[in-house]
Amino acid sequence: MKKLTALLLAVVLFTTLFACVCQAENKSIKVGLVCIGDENDQGYTYNFIRGTETATEVLAGKGIDVEWQIKFNLIEGDPVAVANEELVEDGCAIIFNNSYGQEPAMLTIAAEYPEVQFVAMTNEGSWKDDLDNTHNAFARIHEGRYIAGVVAGMKLQEMIDKGEIAPEQAIIGYVGAYSFAEVVSGYSAYFLGARSVCPSVTMKVQFVGSWSDATLEANAAQALIDQDCVLISQHSDNTTPATTAEKNGVFHTGYNADMMPAAPKASLISTRIDWTNYFVYAIESVANGETFDADYSKGLAEGDIALTTLNEEICAEGTREKMDEVIDAIIKGELEVFDTSTFTVNGEVVESFLAIDMTGDFVPDEGEAIWDGAFHESQCPELMSAPYFNMPIDGITRLNEAY
Amino acid sequence: MRSHREPLFHLAKQGDVSGRRAWAIRLASFVLAIFIGGLIFLFLGHNPFRAYGEIITGSLGRKTALRQTIKIAVPLLGTALAIAPCFKMRFWNIGAEGQITAGAIGATFFALNYANRLPSPLLLTIMGLSGVLCGALWALIPAIFKARWGTNETLFTLMMNYIVIGMVKYLQGGPWEGKPGSQIIPNFNNAAVLPKVLGVHCGWIMVLILTLFIFIYMNYSKHGYEISVIGESPKTARYAGMDVGRVTRRTMMLSGGMCGLVGYMVASGANMTLYHNVADGVGFTAITVAWLSQLNPFAMIAISLLLAILDKGAGTLQTAMQVPTSISDIITGIFLFCMLACEFFINYRILFSGGRKKEAKEG
Repeated sequence: MKKLTALLLAVVLFTTLFACVCQAENKSIKVGLVCIGDENDQGYTYNFIRGTETATEVLAGKGIDVEWQIKFNLIEGDPVAVANEELVEDGCAIIFNNSYGQEPAMLTIAAEYPEVQFVAMTNEGSWKDDLDNTHNAFARIHEGRYIAGVVAGMKLQEMIDKGEIAPEQAIIGYVGAYSFAEVVSGYSAYFLGARSVCPSVTMKVQFVGSWSDATLEANAAQALIDQDCVLISQHSDNTTPATTAEKNGVFHTGYNADMMPAAPKASLISTRIDWTNYFVYAIESVANGETFDADYSKGLAEGDIALTTLNEEICAEGTREKMDEVIDAIIKGELEVFDTSTFTVNGEVVESFLAIDMTGDFVPDEGEAIWDGAFHESQCPELMSAPYFNMPIDGITRLNEAY
Repeated sequence: MRSHREPLFHLAKQGDVSGRRAWAIRLASFVLAIFIGGLIFLFLGHNPFRAYGEIITGSLGRKTALRQTIKIAVPLLGTALAIAPCFKMRFWNIGAEGQITAGAIGATFFALNYANRLPSPLLLTIMGLSGVLCGALWALIPAIFKARWGTNETLFTLMMNYIVIGMVKYLQGGPWEGKPGSQIIPNFNNAAVLPKVLGVHCGWIMVLILTLFIFIYMNYSKHGYEISVIGESPKTARYAGMDVGRVTRRTMMLSGGMCGLVGYMVASGANMTLYHNVADGVGFTAITVAWLSQLNPFAMIAISLLLAILDKGAGTLQTAMQVPTSISDIITGIFLFCMLACEFFINYRILFSGGRKKEAKEG
């Protein structure tokens, strides 16, 4: 009995020692994340949660142990401020806020805790305020949208070539959340991608007035299909536009998540932001006591934009090759998504566009976004990460303007 | 023969229940709620003791948590106080949600347009008055309809909520919108933000003063007397020469005005901006607070704090123990159900048929 106890004691001692040694080698850091929804949306927030998981793995490989503290379903106002403050109290060294509306509340807390780093994703207030501990981040998602648009355009052109639809019947229906620059930029890039391979394509946009409302999104998709749209895409958080498309026998491309499981006969491809790189970059900087960029936006070239598996069963022939060619061209900088020679506004080529509002009146007053024959979206560090392309380009009809 | 068809039990109105017995029943129901909630945690594979521990520490354990709990309790208490006179009058004002929102709109108008032109104390006073006025006017509409045409105030006040919430949505996307398309009204200038006292916006002082005010108003004023007479019997009130329509309008304006003040506190003190969900269900939860406290203003302080603790504590469960928010809602629901149900057992007795038969035989 004594022997057994001694043995046990020895084992316990040994493992504790071992554990201590291991811990000493690894840095550990507490990281906060404030989410607008929760992972059940299978879209926007789910995409962030996936980013946290992969980032944790990558950081573990670099000797940094991350402990995530995640708070859900916080949209705006005081609850967001409280969540940020609680995360500070829990000992988080860096706190991410994943939605546009959270930034004003986050900033009130950031001012009180200068030793903690705060990041507001998709927004633009933090990089230009006087606080050193506030940051913004987004990604060049318009590149992903453009490629999804190419995939959609290939499909439409194939339908035209096979005589299934007339050229003027190549109409895309787009379910948008709000008439917000992030959304406008997304569908414009998507449309230009489609038109680059299907010249006769046009697009109708229906806004739902909510980032996430499964029923409204399905209704909007149905309304678009009823108005002769033969392909549906979306900038909203649910998979219902995909399932509605499938039910009506039309095609679909998605956002934030692979929607093929939800609609295998309709969903061609989806694009999403891969947050892994940014999480790793920001957290590693903080763990090593270094500063990091106040504004961040990277794209396909750096792997911050991901495309989900192409649905080879239903996509047009040659899509894979065309896709790879376009991806390659974008990465090499040979192709600009918003090449000003490819679109017009009220029949005219756009030559100048200001991106940044520094006076706080929400009217851009500096930051020329057009140079070298292209509109530069989410351009960091020259301009800013938050999307600003909000021009009504020809070929796209908004069915409702109210949002 | 007939006794076979008698129901298993029937209910009898309880006479005067001694205060001690009533409180014993309330305590028992509270314990029962804790027990049922514990079973749910157990069923989901969580240690119920730890879960309740998290609720307590999550809501009271730290300074910020405590502040937040009080911040949740303030609008609840303010709104419960506001609807108490209406309920005493048996005028079912379930439009507090809308009256709060109307008050928030009134306050926000000045916060957005006059922030740079007026000194902060004056601006805050004007915002408060504007909030009270908007809330009062919004509440006056159903009161006029009720007094003039006898419309159903329950439906009327409820429907008014959706109208004013729609108005905020319009303002968010229209004239008051910040960045185009964002649907977000910019944060208030610091001059339009309620100052903090002991770490919580000074709305908590206002609601404590309101508590005292409502206590005196309801129990020691002529208005309060009129309200209780009308609540007991409008016909008696009319016979006694009271103008029922006038009292209805006046009471609703008082109620709506207080709700409007709450809306001002929430927009200016807590959120520093306006959005359509500014009332966040407080208008409805306050009904529960008012009922549970038997319309007693001081009891409302305790009940609103209790609900705030549950609300805040349940919220931390998700972060600390990965309990989904829906489970937290269920636990809160169980507490409310048990506490409301116990009032039933205070007012009624259950008599089982078996017992009655015996009584009859003996008789």
